[in-house]
Amino acid sequence: MKIGRLPALVRTTTFRLALLHASIFILFTASLLAYLYYETAGHLDRQAGNELNAEFQELSAAYRGGFDRLNQSVIERSSARGKFFYLLLDGSGVKASGDFDVLPAPAPTAGQVVDVNFDYDARTPDGQPSRRSAQGRISRLTDGGVLMVAYDVGELGEMNRRISDVVWRSAAVGFVLSLIGGVVISRSAAQRAEQLAKTTEVVMAGDLSRRAPVFGSGDEFDRLSEQLNAMLAKLERLVISSRSAGDSIAHDLRSPLTRLRNRLEGGLRDTNADGPRQALARSIDDVDGVLDTFNAVLRLSRVQAGATGSFKRTDVVGITNELAELYQPVCEEKQLSFEYACEPDLYVLADRDLIAQAMSNLMDNAVKYTPSGGDVRLKARRAANGDIELSVADSGPGIPAQDRERVIERFVRLEQSRSEPGSGLGLSLASAVAEAHSGSLVLGDGLGLPGRPGLKATLVLPAA
Amino acid sequence: MRVIVIEDDSDAASFVKRVLSEAGHAVDICGDGESGLNQARTGDYDALVVDRMLPGMDGLKLLKSYRDGGGRAPALFLSALGEVDHRVEGLQAGGDDYLVKPYAPSELVARVEALGRRATGDIPTTKLAVGGLEMDLLARSVTRDGQKIDLQPREFRLLEFLMRHAGQVVTRTMLLEKVWDYHFDPQTNVIDVHVSRLRGKIDKDFERPLLHTVRGAGYRLEA
Repeated sequence: MKIGRLPALVRTTTFRLALLHASIFILFTASLLAYLYYETAGHLDRQAGNELNAEFQELSAAYRGGFDRLNQSVIERSSARGKFFYLLLDGSGVKASGDFDVLPAPAPTAGQVVDVNFDYDARTPDGQPSRRSAQGRISRLTDGGVLMVAYDVGELGEMNRRISDVVWRSAAVGFVLSLIGGVVISRSAAQRAEQLAKTTEVVMAGDLSRRAPVFGSGDEFDRLSEQLNAMLAKLERLVISSRSAGDSIAHDLRSPLTRLRNRLEGGLRDTNADGPRQALARSIDDVDGVLDTFNAVLRLSRVQAGATGSFKRTDVVGITNELAELYQPVCEEKQLSFEYACEPDLYVLADRDLIAQAMSNLMDNAVKYTPSGGDVRLKARRAANGDIELSVADSGPGIPAQDRERVIERFVRLEQSRSEPGSGLGLSLASAVAEAHSGSLVLGDGLGLPGRPGLKATLVLPAA
Repeated sequence: MRVIVIEDDSDAASFVKRVLSEAGHAVDICGDGESGLNQARTGDYDALVVDRMLPGMDGLKLLKSYRDGGGRAPALFLSALGEVDHRVEGLQAGGDDYLVKPYAPSELVARVEALGRRATGDIPTTKLAVGGLEMDLLARSVTRDGQKIDLQPREFRLLEFLMRHAGQVVTRTMLLEKVWDYHFDPQTNVIDVHVSRLRGKIDKDFERPLLHTVRGAGYRLEA
């Protein structure tokens, strides 16, 4: 990461959270250490202070008996080699008694007391010279004399220093560590966010096949990426299908339009009395064909875009009953034996008109491609897994397994069916309708014989 | 019939006028929504033909205002928007029928004439009769020259629709919409097959056919 990027990093939400977290951590550590200090070094300090107070009280009491009485008391205490050191100066500033020779700090004015910290020279028990610290209190006596009482804080001072060193160092280290942690965390979060932003940037630039990386950790970034990818996949499908629809429309409409143009031109030149009239009549048929295709494309696009349909809990048996009734005479007309079977109570969240149209497309195909004397079977049933299956099976030529996926695409018509009328959109629409209902269109072998297997087209819909 | 056509595309409007005039109807044309609404209110028309998309005031709003003002003439919407929800919008706005552009002239005439019939035949009837063919809507029975004819429920509805529009051309799309309530065109000739079955039942044993095929348009039931 370049230094120049740092400001961008600092702006990220995660970094700010890390910084906040670090500050809270520091505050917490500092108060913990302050408490620790208060309870340990501070305690010793206060205890010593209290004893110093007591010592001063006693010496004040002695002073009420006069300077000499105080002097006597200091001499006694000093020689007792207790915890405290003393120095008593008389009114002229000359040492009367005590352990030191001079005051370490100037004496205060009359009646005043000052606390001082100072160093002094001492010897270790084995005779080595050492410089130690002391803390003391100096008081100006009413007669102009000066009394100082001090105690050694050599070890205490050392401990204080160490503890406060530890406090400040660990606070500093903690702050730096949590800041580094924050940077690392926010960097990885920022990188994931950056990857998402990059992905959308590339997609916006036109590369719809780009996907956001998923690391499989299942964290919120992965979930976001997965959602984004699912959305992109759907968008890509729609864009590609509308792109290919555009191509296919151009392809499928160009030939009838060319035919129409030729016919009109021929009609214009036709010298027969009835010629132009016939050309016009047939041109109208051509235009109707083009319009049918056009309408079918529009319908298909709307279904695929999910822009149509009102979905209600519907018993599909009602729909298949009507279809059976609608198509039975058609089958009889073409001498196809028609069978219809349905199980009761097949509820689906469905748009009646869409399902009816999809099934009617399947029935149209069956009737169209099955030769006279063949079989057509319409069936509505509940599959073992609970899905609702609406199927149309026939004994026609069927669709070779390798072509089944392809025929669902728009405008794909197999060579042998090119001569039949139709837009090549029937199965595409059925498939789009199935998808609009969160289901699918499945193509398989139908009722025929080996070699001519027939076709079974099934709308598989989730039960409601 | 006196028909007002409210349509801003003058080519389309004059096409509608020509088609309807040829079928013997008096047609006025109006090119925008607001004056169309005024003219529809003040003129005494038997039917309105309204384009859905109009400058000034769109067709849906126009018809709503017309109905709110007490206008009762039946109305047919013309529109390039043909999905089921568009039709529903049209019917909710007070339309009586909905025809998607482009359409065959015969389809337009058939539907406009069906509208006129609806307006005059508002009184509920229990019996329909065409020639010797009689339908009892309560007993759900049909006879011709006193001879009982057995019909399936759908055939009954099909015949009922034809009888209510006796003398008029009824298109295949109209039958799909009104009898089957389907708003798509099956590719195969399902309607023809059903009509020919019905014809087999009502015309077969009789000398004079009642149910006629009108080439390029549809069917007509006529004595």
